Amino acid sequence: MTSRQGRFLRRVAAMAAKEVLHIRRDPRTLYIALALPVIMLLLLGFGLSFDIERIPLVVADGDRSAASRELARAVFGSRDFAAVAGSDARAAQTELRRGQAMAALVIPAGFARELDAGRDSPVQLLVDGSDGNTARQIMGKIDAILRAHGGSRAGFADSPPLAVKVSTLWNPASRSALFMVPGVAAYLLAIAAVLLTALTIAAEWERGSMEQLFASPVGRLEIVLGKLLPYLALGMLQLLLVISLGTTVFDVPIHGSLPMIFVAGLLFLTGMLGQGLLVSVLARNQLVATQAGALSSLVPSLLLSGMLVPIENMPWILQALTVVVPARYLVHALRTLMLKGGGFQVIALDLLALLAFAVVILALATLRFKRRLA
Amino acid sequence: MSEMAIEAVGLGRDFGAFRAVTDVSFSVEAGEIFGYLGANGAGKSTTIRMLCGLLLPSRGTARVAGFDVGQKPEAVKAAIGYMSQKFSLYLDLPVRDNLDFFGGAYGISGRALPRRAAEVTELCGLGGLGPRITGTLPAGLRQRLALACAILHRPAVLFLDEPTACVDPQARRLFWRVIRQLAASGTTIFVTTHYLDEAEYCRRIGLMAAGRLIALDTPAALKRAYVPGRVFLVRGENLAATTSAVRAQPGILAFEPFGAGLHLQAEPALWNEASVKLAVERAGGREVVVEAADPSLEDVFLAALGRAEPAA
Ligand SMILES: Nc1ncnc2c1ncn2[C@@H]1O[C@H](COP(=O)(O)OP(=O)(O)O)[C@@H](O)[C@H]1O
Ligand SMILES: [Mg+2]
Repeated sequence: MTSRQGRFLRRVAAMAAKEVLHIRRDPRTLYIALALPVIMLLLLGFGLSFDIERIPLVVADGDRSAASRELARAVFGSRDFAAVAGSDARAAQTELRRGQAMAALVIPAGFARELDAGRDSPVQLLVDGSDGNTARQIMGKIDAILRAHGGSRAGFADSPPLAVKVSTLWNPASRSALFMVPGVAAYLLAIAAVLLTALTIAAEWERGSMEQLFASPVGRLEIVLGKLLPYLALGMLQLLLVISLGTTVFDVPIHGSLPMIFVAGLLFLTGMLGQGLLVSVLARNQLVATQAGALSSLVPSLLLSGMLVPIENMPWILQALTVVVPARYLVHALRTLMLKGGGFQVIALDLLALLAFAVVILALATLRFKRRLA
Repeated sequence: MSEMAIEAVGLGRDFGAFRAVTDVSFSVEAGEIFGYLGANGAGKSTTIRMLCGLLLPSRGTARVAGFDVGQKPEAVKAAIGYMSQKFSLYLDLPVRDNLDFFGGAYGISGRALPRRAAEVTELCGLGGLGPRITGTLPAGLRQRLALACAILHRPAVLFLDEPTACVDPQARRLFWRVIRQLAASGTTIFVTTHYLDEAEYCRRIGLMAAGRLIALDTPAALKRAYVPGRVFLVRGENLAATTSAVRAQPGILAFEPFGAGLHLQAEPALWNEASVKLAVERAGGREVVVEAADPSLEDVFLAALGRAEPAA
């Protein structure tokens, strides 16, 4: 290690150590970071219900008959479902796992034959149960469509109605708490991270100590790192708390990779800390930084993350907006990992999006963070 | 490399269309205490910030400790200590943590840090205050702690921006004792103040007004140059009513209320103490005493301001 790097690390360490001392002396910080999540999670764990339409659905047509095509037309004829391309039952499962489709209708080979013979002809409905609320609605809607369809088939008035065999995947009990925990985790991490960094940096400006730092050899990267590292650690602790609470109090399973949950959390936190940094660099005073920080983290993570309102239910303009909301990717990644299982592959896109956000926002903040006063 | 610790040439800084500092040139020798005087808004802090590499000059250049402030601000920052005008320690932390932090920020590490911290604590008279929360200290002690933090890394040049504002006279005296000790051991001190009495501690002083350096020299030379006459102090009661009568006396060069009295500058050849006293008494002054006084820097300041802006 050269002495240049040594000095760099020493200064980062000095900044970070000082930040830890501030945190230790100000119980509000710890309250925001650690007590708030518990309260919020318990409050939000009850879940809320919403109506949805244009649910992405894949039909795996194993029969390829006139009757099976007619059934698919009937399903997509309503405004409730949007078609997702798929071929067989296996491909449909993949679409579900990737989150491309929220439900799959599997029509087995021989469907038409059984129907023509006047026998019971079951089709299978697979539903992504990680969102219990949506899953229940999908089942209700499909059930209604199939009943109407069966009844309207000319010449088969006396045939038995189509039987629907429902399998809810990943969240068999369709419990909202399961669905809420990942969302609440994203929401809490976002708020605490943005708010705490925005506050600590704005405080340096207000106190005048920023000027003192700028007059010292401490570089802006050292200030940024020294400020971010302690809050990153705190954020990870917070994530651990939320996850533990979710698994113990709400029985949220973790089917996927636990380390990946923390990787996603780390990337998300880095982005949020960068956002807090940017807010405080622009605001330079604690009051404005608090408000801008809270607003810029609370609104997107609560409303645009898919936590409360499923993204596919939003007007297109909001849907487009969610593309740049990191909470969306964290919520998706956490839900996938906790409720569906899998590891890096199933959340690779989410991780990429989170990483891109973190890099862009940190670069922006560091660039805007001039080490001059005017 | 210049031998001067600070060298400013035609230094200027604008904020938008406003010229905060205009065409300031001076140099400060190593080990000198250089005082920078001026009213609020005169441009003192702006000058200091340019010299510390915190503000880019709009015009002119400056070298501090041999480095150009515009081109090598990082080298400048490593060589200087700075106490900003705004009190900027971490009030929520103990004295000890403030010292540790600034030591780390300046890259002092390992065993060198506690040793050096003990040295500056001793020098600044902060012994035994380590565990005290900084916010609970009286202003004078905080000021000396800020000084201690600014000299941990043994800077060659120390910039102090109104270090003794809001500090009681005794604490100011203690503070200046430390400053003179530092200068005696070779540190160059650049200090702004608006306490004119403190300027007497400086080897040379510069007077700032409206962004310009209007006078610069040793206090004695400034007094000779700007206060050519003799200075008198008129004391008594009800003097406010007598000003026009005093002004009408022959040989009065300048005239200024000073505390409860009147501060006069007079042409020695035309000065007539008895007639001035009589005029004051006639105009309503009671228990009038006229005495000769030493010219103060205040007289210099007023005279210099008068010359720089004849209209005022
Ligand atoms: N960052 C800034 N932006 C705009 N105006 C400034 C800025 N800093 C200082 N000024 C103005 O420049 C003038 C000189 O300020 P300053 O150098 O702080 O004076 P002093 O330290 O002598 O009181 C003042 O009128 C002040 O309002
Ligand atoms: Mg000032």
